[in-house]
Amino acid sequence: MEFSEHIKTANVEDVVLRQPLHPPGRGTLCITGHHLLFSDREEGSCRQVLLLLRNIDAIEKSGVCRLSGSSGTITIKCKDLRVLQLDIPGMEECLNIARSIETLSCLDSMSELYPFFYRPSSASLRDQWGLSSLERHYSQMKELHDRWRLSTVNRDFSVCPSYPQAVIVPKSTDDDMLEKVAKFRQGGRFPVLCYYHKKNGMVIMRSSQPLTGANRKHCREDEQLLQAVIDGSDKGYIIDTRSSQQALQARMTGGGLESKSCYSSWKRLQRQMERGKALQESLIKLVEACGEESNNMDRWLSKLENSKWLSHVQTALSTAGLLAECVERDGHSVLVHGSEGTDSTLLISTLAQLIMDPSCRTLEGFLTLLEREWVQAGHPFQQRCAHSAHSHARLQQESPVFLLLLDCVWQLWRQFPLALGFSEALLLRLATEAYASDYGTFLGNNQQERCALGVKENTHCLFQALLRPRERDCYSNPLYEHTELAIWPSVYPQSLQLWRGFFLRWTPQTHHLEEAQEEIRNMVIEWGKLALSSCPASTRRSEDVQNM
Amino acid sequence: MASPVSVYNSNALDTHISSSSRESLKMELLADVSLLPGEERIIDKETIYICPFSGAVKGKVLITNYRLYFKSLDPDLTLDVPLGAIGRVEKMGGASSRGENSYGLDITCKDMRNLRFALKQEGHSRRDIFELIFKYAFPLSHGLPLFAYVTQEKYGESGWDIYKPIEEFRRQGLPNNKWRITFINKNYELCDTYPTVLAVPFKSKEEDLRRVAAFRSRGRIPVLSWIHRENQAVIARCSQPLVGMSGKRNKDDERYLDVIREANDTSKLTIFDARPSVNAVANKATGGGYEGDEYQNAELVFLDIQNIHVMRESLKKLKDIVYPNVEDSHWLSSLESTHWLEHVKLVLSGAIQVADKVSSGQSVVVHCSDGWDRTAQLTSLAMLMLDSHYRTLRGFQVLIEKEWISFGHKFASRIGHGDKNHADQDRSPIFVQFIDCVWQMTKQFPTAFEFNERLLLTILDHLYSCCFGTFLYNCESARDQHEVRLKTVSLWSLVNSKMEMYLNPFYTPESGRVLYPVASMRHLELWVTYYIRWNPRIRQQQQSPVEQRYKELLALRDEYLKKLEELQLSDSSPSSRLANTPNSSSSTSSTPPQQYTQLQTPL
Repeated sequence: MEFSEHIKTANVEDVVLRQPLHPPGRGTLCITGHHLLFSDREEGSCRQVLLLLRNIDAIEKSGVCRLSGSSGTITIKCKDLRVLQLDIPGMEECLNIARSIETLSCLDSMSELYPFFYRPSSASLRDQWGLSSLERHYSQMKELHDRWRLSTVNRDFSVCPSYPQAVIVPKSTDDDMLEKVAKFRQGGRFPVLCYYHKKNGMVIMRSSQPLTGANRKHCREDEQLLQAVIDGSDKGYIIDTRSSQQALQARMTGGGLESKSCYSSWKRLQRQMERGKALQESLIKLVEACGEESNNMDRWLSKLENSKWLSHVQTALSTAGLLAECVERDGHSVLVHGSEGTDSTLLISTLAQLIMDPSCRTLEGFLTLLEREWVQAGHPFQQRCAHSAHSHARLQQESPVFLLLLDCVWQLWRQFPLALGFSEALLLRLATEAYASDYGTFLGNNQQERCALGVKENTHCLFQALLRPRERDCYSNPLYEHTELAIWPSVYPQSLQLWRGFFLRWTPQTHHLEEAQEEIRNMVIEWGKLALSSCPASTRRSEDVQNM
Repeated sequence: MASPVSVYNSNALDTHISSSSRESLKMELLADVSLLPGEERIIDKETIYICPFSGAVKGKVLITNYRLYFKSLDPDLTLDVPLGAIGRVEKMGGASSRGENSYGLDITCKDMRNLRFALKQEGHSRRDIFELIFKYAFPLSHGLPLFAYVTQEKYGESGWDIYKPIEEFRRQGLPNNKWRITFINKNYELCDTYPTVLAVPFKSKEEDLRRVAAFRSRGRIPVLSWIHRENQAVIARCSQPLVGMSGKRNKDDERYLDVIREANDTSKLTIFDARPSVNAVANKATGGGYEGDEYQNAELVFLDIQNIHVMRESLKKLKDIVYPNVEDSHWLSSLESTHWLEHVKLVLSGAIQVADKVSSGQSVVVHCSDGWDRTAQLTSLAMLMLDSHYRTLRGFQVLIEKEWISFGHKFASRIGHGDKNHADQDRSPIFVQFIDCVWQMTKQFPTAFEFNERLLLTILDHLYSCCFGTFLYNCESARDQHEVRLKTVSLWSLVNSKMEMYLNPFYTPESGRVLYPVASMRHLELWVTYYIRWNPRIRQQQQSPVEQRYKELLALRDEYLKKLEELQLSDSSPSSRLANTPNSSSSTSSTPPQQYTQLQTPL
C-alpha cells in the first residue's frame, strides 16, 4: 500500500507545538506513513518530537479565520495519555494533516504497522526473538516430567487458534482426548498448565468456560483431564471469574460452568471480575477526572471512586490472592477461567504467580512471565488495545485488561519495595508499548496471527530490547532483594493508591518524582560500585546491586 | 477457605508457643516490661482487653505513673500506651449490666484510638483502677507533676541546646543594617506569649514596638521569622490588628509595616491573612480585624484556612471512618467528606504562596487571629520550602523549636497535657496537621529531607506522651516559670542520641533549592501509616525488611562518602578514578557535600 495517498500535505512550516512539561516550540511539522515529526527551529535549539501515529487515540480540530489568513489547531490525545496541541497556519494544511492522522493512526492491516518497518541499527532481525518458549519452559521444569507432558496437538493451530503450538497437559491425557476437550471449551481453550508450585507440587490450570449449554451437556474427557490434574489429592478448586448468575446465564448462549455432579472433586468459587466494556468505561471516567483542571471544590476523591478503577484493582488483587491462597496455603490445585479465558483469567494467574513465585519477580522473570501468560497464551492485544481512553470511536473489543495488570503489579511494587526486581519505569514503558510500539511483541491477537504475519522474522522483539545492558540498568530496581516468601498484598482501599506515575504522568509533579527515583537509583548503584571495587566486607550487597 | 480473602499476612504472625513455655510465661506476663528510670508500678490487674480487631483478649494490665501496659499470650498481644496519650476515661456498664464484657472501662486516646477493658463486677475492683488511671493520666488535675518532671532518663546530648535564637539569627545573616535584635521582651513585658529575643526593623525604636503592641492582639507585634539571604525579603509574623467595629487605625502600626517593606526596597508588602475573609470580618465584632486600605503599599491576601474548631471536627470525622472499623465500601468519598485532605491542601497552598512571594523578592507579613496556630503552620512550612537547612534532621528541630515552641503555639491548650477536661474547646490538632503537611512534602520530594517518616511519628507520639519537656506549656514565659529546661529532658536529646534511626538514606543536600510541593488533591495522600496505624491490616505490611535495607544503604552511603574523601586526599587530579565513572562528570576538587551532589547527574 502507498501511504502517500493518505498524505496530502507532508510538510508544514511555522507550526507551534504545545506539549506538557515543555515550553511551546515553533518549527516544522512533517507527516510520514507512521510518524508525526516536529523539528524545533528556534535559535539555538534543535528539539525534535517523534510521535508514532499509532499512539494517537483521538484528534480534535478547531479553526480560526483572521484577516491575515486562517489557521487551525489540532489537539492530539495520545494513548499514553499525553495531550499535544499543534497550531498550523493555513486551514487547508491543517485539515489535510488532521485527515492523514485520522487515517494513518488506525490502519487496519497489521502488516502495514510500523514494527514491520522499524530497523534500528543496534539490532538485527536475526537476533533471538522472544525470551523463552513453552518447550524450553517445560524442559527446564524437570519436576514436571513425571506427571505432565508437552503436547503439540495444536502445532497447526487447528485445535485452538488462540493457543500456542505447544502446551503442557497431564501425562495421562492423549492428544485425541485433548481434541475432544477442546470442542467442549469455548474457542478450544482446553485446560492447560500455567504454573507449577514447587513447594507442594500443586498447579494452576487455565482454560475457557465449558460449553455445557442449555442442555447441560458434559464431556467425559474434560472430566478425566481435570481428574488427572488432582490425581492423588482430595480436591481442587475452580475459580470462575464470573458471578454465579453470569455463569448460569452463559448456558443460554452455549457456555456454562462445571456442574457439581460431573466434577465432584472440584469446588467452584465464583468471583465476579469486571471485563470488557465496563473496564474500558472505567478507564475513560478515570482519565477524564485526571484531566480536569483542579480547583477547590472539584470533588476529586468522589470522582476517583466513581470511576471504579481502584475497585477493579482491588478485585483483581484479591482474586489473585485467593488463587494464591488456594495453592500456597490450602495446598490444592486450581483451574481458573471466565468466559473466553483470555482476559481476567490471565490477569489473576499472572498476579498469583508474582505473589507466590520469586523467580517471576526479577526483571527477566517478569518479562518471561508476560511473554508466556499474555503474548503466548493469547491475550488479544490487537483488539483490546486498539483504542484507549480518549477515543471517540465506538467501542468494540477494547478493554484495558493489560493496563489493569500493570496497575496491580505497581501496587505490589509499592507495597513491597524490595521484592520486585524491576522499576516503575518498566511498567510505564510496557503500558505505552502495548498500545503503540516499534516492536512486534504485542502485534496481533495470538501466536497464529503472529506466525501468519511473520512477526518473528520481520520485526524486533521488545522483551529482548528491554534486557539490553543500558535498558536493564534503567528498568531494574536497585533496592531489590531476593526473598523466597510469598508477597501477600493488602487489598484494602486504604492500601491501594492511584497509579499517579501513569495516570498523572504528564504533570510536572509526577515528572519530578520520576527524576527523584532516577536519582535514588543512580545513588544506590554508585554506592554499590565503589563498595564492590575496594571493600570485601560489603561485596555481598554490591553483588545484589549488580544483579538486579 | 471460600470466604473472601481480605486479610493477608505473610509470616511471623503465626508464631506458636509451646504449651509448657506458655505456663512459665504466664507467670511473668508483666515481668519483661522495661520501665523508664523514675517510672513506678502503680497497680496491675487481670483484665480483658476488648480488642476491636481480635475480640476479647484475656491478659494483665499494668498501670505505672507513665504508661498503661497490657499483655496477653493468646493471642500474643501487647499494648503500651503512655498515659499522656489518654484524653478521656469513662466507666462503661453498671452493676446491673448483664451482657458479656459490658462492664469495664472505656478509654479515649488522643492518638486516633480507643481502648476498652472489661472487668469483673464484684468488689470495688473497677473503682480502684479507674481512679488510679484517672489520677495518673491527668496529673495536673490532681496536683501531681507531669511525668517529664519525674523521669530520670539521661542522654548523651542535651536537646535543649539545639536551638539558640541568636545563633539561628546569625545563621540567617542577622543582625544587619536593616534588621536588629531586640531584648525588649526579656521579661515578657511586651508580649507574654513571645520569646525573649526578637528581630525587628532596624529603623523601629523600642517605643514604636510598644505602641504597635498596643494595636496587635495580645501584643504579638510583627517580628522577623526568616530572611532571604540574596534578596533580603522577609517572613514576618504577628497577630491580627485591633481594628474593631469602629474601624480603628493606628499610625504606628501602619508606619511599622511600611518600615518592614522598606527594608528590602520593594514597592509592595504582602499581608497574608490565613483566615477566610468572612471570619476576618467577623473578628471585628470582638475587637480584631484585618489591615484595610489605610495600609499603603500593602496588599492583603486571605488564605481561606479554617479555624481550630473546624480542624478538630474534621480530624474527629476522620477518626470515625478509620477507628475501630475502617470504612471500606465508600472509602474515598467518606474520606472526602471529612475534608481533612482539603484542609491540608489549603494550608500547603497558603505556605506555597508565602514562599513564592518571598523568593520573588517581596517581604510578607503572616497572621491569623492570634498568630499562634495557622500562622505557625504557614511560616514554618514556607521556611521549610525556602531554606534547606530546615530539611536536615537538626534544622527541622530548630524550625519546630523556633516557629512553634518559642512563638507560643499553645501546646498545653491544644493537646491538654495532664488535663482531665477532654471537651475543652481549645483542643485542636493544628500541630498534627503541620506534621501531616511535612509528610506530604517528604512524599513529593523523597530526596530532599534528611529525616525519615519515623522521626515524624516519634514527634507525634511524644507530642502526647509527657515524657519530654519539649511540647509542654503554652509559651516561653510559662516554661521559664516551670523551669522546663532545668527539670525536664528535651525530645531532641532522645532523637539526637540515636540519629541513624531517623535518617533518610536517599537524602541529597541541595542548598538554595526552593521546594514547591503540589497542593492539589490529586497529589495528596492520606497519611495511612499514622492515622490508621493501630489497625493490624495496615501494620502488618512488611516494614521491617525495608527499614533493615535502608539501614544497610545508610552504611553503604557513609562508606561511599568516606571513600570519596580518601580518594580526594590521595589524588586531587581531575583524572582520578571517580571522575572516570560514567556519571560523575567533572573534577573532584570541591568539598564533599558538593561532590555528592554531582553524582545525581542522570546517566
